[in-house]
Amino acid sequence: MTATQTQAAGPPQLVAPSVRRGLWSVAIAAYIVCTFDLGHSSSYRQGLLLVAASFAIMALSLDLVAGVTGMYSLAHAGLFAIGAYGTAILNEVHHVNVFVALPLVLAATAVVGLVVGALSIRVSGLYFAITTLIFTIIVNVLLSNLKVTGGFQGLPSPTFPNFPHSISSALGSSLAWAVSGCLFLTIAVIWSIRSSALYPVLLAIRDSEQFAAAAGVRTSLTRILLFGLSSALAGLAGWAFSFQGFITPGQFNSTASINILVMVILGGINTRVGPIVGAVFISLFPVVVSIDPLWQEILFGSIFLAVIVFVPEGFVGLLIRFGRLARYRWQRATVGSALGVTLDSSTGLSPATASFAPYAGPADRSSPALEARGVTFSYGGPTPALQGVDLVVAQGSIHGLIGPNGSGKTTMVNLLSGILTPQAGTITVNGVRAEGLHVWRHTDLGMMRTFQTAVMVRELTTAANVGVGLYNRYAHIGSRSLAWPVLPSARRDSRQMASTSRGALKNVGLGPEWSSTQVANIPHGVEQLTQLAAACVGSPSILILDEPLAGLSAEEVVSVSGILRSLQAAGVTTIVIEHQTRFIFDVCDQVTVLAAGVLVRTGAAADVRADPRVREVYLGQ
Amino acid sequence: MLLQAIVTGLSIGAIYGLVAMGFAVVFYVTRVINFATGQLLMAAVMIVAGLSESHWHAWVTIPLGLVASAVGAVLIYLIAVRPVLSFNRFSFAWLVSTLGVAIILASGAALIWGTSSLAFPRLLNDTDVKFFGAALSWQQIAGVGVAIVLTIGLELFRTRSLYGKLAVAISNDADTASSMGINVTAYAVWAFAIGGLLAGIAGVMVGPISFANPYMGDTYGIYGFVALMVGGIERPAASMGGGLVLGVLISIAATYINPLAADWFPFVVVIAVLLLTPNGVFRSGAVVKRLLASIGSQLPHVSPGSK
Repeated sequence: MTATQTQAAGPPQLVAPSVRRGLWSVAIAAYIVCTFDLGHSSSYRQGLLLVAASFAIMALSLDLVAGVTGMYSLAHAGLFAIGAYGTAILNEVHHVNVFVALPLVLAATAVVGLVVGALSIRVSGLYFAITTLIFTIIVNVLLSNLKVTGGFQGLPSPTFPNFPHSISSALGSSLAWAVSGCLFLTIAVIWSIRSSALYPVLLAIRDSEQFAAAAGVRTSLTRILLFGLSSALAGLAGWAFSFQGFITPGQFNSTASINILVMVILGGINTRVGPIVGAVFISLFPVVVSIDPLWQEILFGSIFLAVIVFVPEGFVGLLIRFGRLARYRWQRATVGSALGVTLDSSTGLSPATASFAPYAGPADRSSPALEARGVTFSYGGPTPALQGVDLVVAQGSIHGLIGPNGSGKTTMVNLLSGILTPQAGTITVNGVRAEGLHVWRHTDLGMMRTFQTAVMVRELTTAANVGVGLYNRYAHIGSRSLAWPVLPSARRDSRQMASTSRGALKNVGLGPEWSSTQVANIPHGVEQLTQLAAACVGSPSILILDEPLAGLSAEEVVSVSGILRSLQAAGVTTIVIEHQTRFIFDVCDQVTVLAAGVLVRTGAAADVRADPRVREVYLGQ
Repeated sequence: MLLQAIVTGLSIGAIYGLVAMGFAVVFYVTRVINFATGQLLMAAVMIVAGLSESHWHAWVTIPLGLVASAVGAVLIYLIAVRPVLSFNRFSFAWLVSTLGVAIILASGAALIWGTSSLAFPRLLNDTDVKFFGAALSWQQIAGVGVAIVLTIGLELFRTRSLYGKLAVAISNDADTASSMGINVTAYAVWAFAIGGLLAGIAGVMVGPISFANPYMGDTYGIYGFVALMVGGIERPAASMGGGLVLGVLISIAATYINPLAADWFPFVVVIAVLLLTPNGVFRSGAVVKRLLASIGSQLPHVSPGSK
């Protein structure tokens, strides 16, 4: 496939890259002009806007963990406080220059964030919020009671050095430039992550941790590191905030933590500008609307309520919804006719033209791809789910795993792929002992898998979801995501991942009309095939499919058979759980039958089919 | 002195426990934390105190206050929670909307009754009981008594009645429960009403000992919430236990460390609790059982079925 074809198959680009680059330059220039204006405006206006900017940094940093990875942290006011108090104490007590204090404060908040994150991710959802809220409360109690923090009185703000006299008349307030620079840095880092190949992976961790883990992502570590990054940004906000007047414990209490979350939700969670809009709105509201303070509070509360009830996705979320609608109308008006035909056809499947790159597998073809010996596993119930099961899968074969419901098939593949650890027995993957290894280590050994019920990121396109499967095929996605748009290698990888993903979708029979559709809008069968594509995209040597045919039409079943055969031709070993016995005995070389956690028979497909015991426990006479 | 600290702690802990149960009953059914629970307590207290200023009798004002807190809670569900849940059942948007209601209630009360404190009817607060050198007013004793009766009553209702069992079904999977013909909305309305009523009762119990102020909801809301975390969020009775533990700890800290320690000591306890058992102290019964069972399963001749 040539480069031009790849471009044509991609989603329609609204603006050319050169135009886009121009728009970015204009935006950055406008940002500098605004900062310049702010540097020269009255100290009252400056005070308001700089506080708003500090909270914008806070809200952006919180959205990175809350919106993108679903960790609703209430630790952020505490981290904010560490940044602000840290700067003030270092400067006033230890006479450290504020610019030397900045990296120290960032490092301190990052380390604290890593610890808090590591302790809190053991629990999820509401418990995560509560555990992190406790952190903020502790920090607040310490601030109110320690001598070095000035107790309830707090600390005066450190003085921020002015520009040298020669340029200070030209640039104005140095603090305005510093805070504006902090905000710019935060926006740059977060928008970079949002445009990187890491972003779909983070959403996958949020929505379907299993799917991400099966793609080779170290989900817990990623969460903790992201929390550390978010904490460092909160520390940056604290540094900027410390120069804006007296700091007191009351500014960083649990209510402040909740307020930051409110900013994110009100502005639009998991959007680029939503957190900024929310932060500006909440910090400026009491100043702009100057009526009786009690009525003002009531109005404030009513706005909370009204926005959440009528526009739960927040200000910016609402605009995005309208934008999507408009773009959809526009697309239908322009390219609708071509798209409509494919969508109306019975399955929407292109004829499968699978062309997998030949995969050699490990050099040593003599050892089996997978070998399980005496595997025993119990969930704790009265009978073990698996007892002493042996399973040997030859290199390059298609191996069926069948049995009645509850016979332990899914438990078996969960053990093989590292999601569960057997209580007894050994598992060898491509000659490497693998029982007890993490899931992501299995992908390093060349194994990929699908799940019985596919859960993918609904707000991303099928192609972006498939791209998650490429995560460990590219080096340093995590660290490069911090400066993704400006790295030529990263831009190249993005393009390559997109075209590889679309290629993988095409291989399972899903053409370009599907690859740019959101998973939320696709039928179940297409979702199953997308999952298959996500497992195949990283050219695994071993593929494990848990009921890949569930919900597929007869035509699609035939197409999956074809896909498995072309994978076999490319050298891939496949293990497939399925209830459609005709499919199993048609496509598999070897079949293993389980019943009630015990091995009934394993062998060549024809022999297994003829075995009277197999007929008795599963096939029927 | 220790006895005095403990009984004083129990009496204030019972109030925190009632507020915590108000949180927990709502959470039990709807998986929502109603952050305006403290403000519902305040509403009941302010209505009783405000009407008493106009010389209404306590027998009239107290029922009115309780009804107001229950009805207020139902309105919160209908206006601030239900629309949000119908958009996305798993988002935290209810945090923002119930917090909005809390702000409106506190400021509204301040508009109506002013920001300074009002007197609450003394009720049973004028007579003390002395035992073994410790003293408590009848009002405090009544608070503990009411808390015990309500805890036992709710626990029996939850575990013995069909309604209680259906509530578990709803909290686990509202969609499936709904398809089984359970009126999920009615259960949520009742949960909010009971939660509001518990907050109101806590208000009536604490009013004579404390003060009536539009902003008192913050204090009791936060302590009730901490009690909820100490006790564990999954069972209303456990949250009452959390309240009692919290109350005693605060009282002991104020007596033996210094009065300011009451501000930070409870939180130290909460951290310790969350580090040891992330799901609360009174869930650890299950933890202990599991631990014993796992030791048991290591031993030979114990039936292989034990966990």
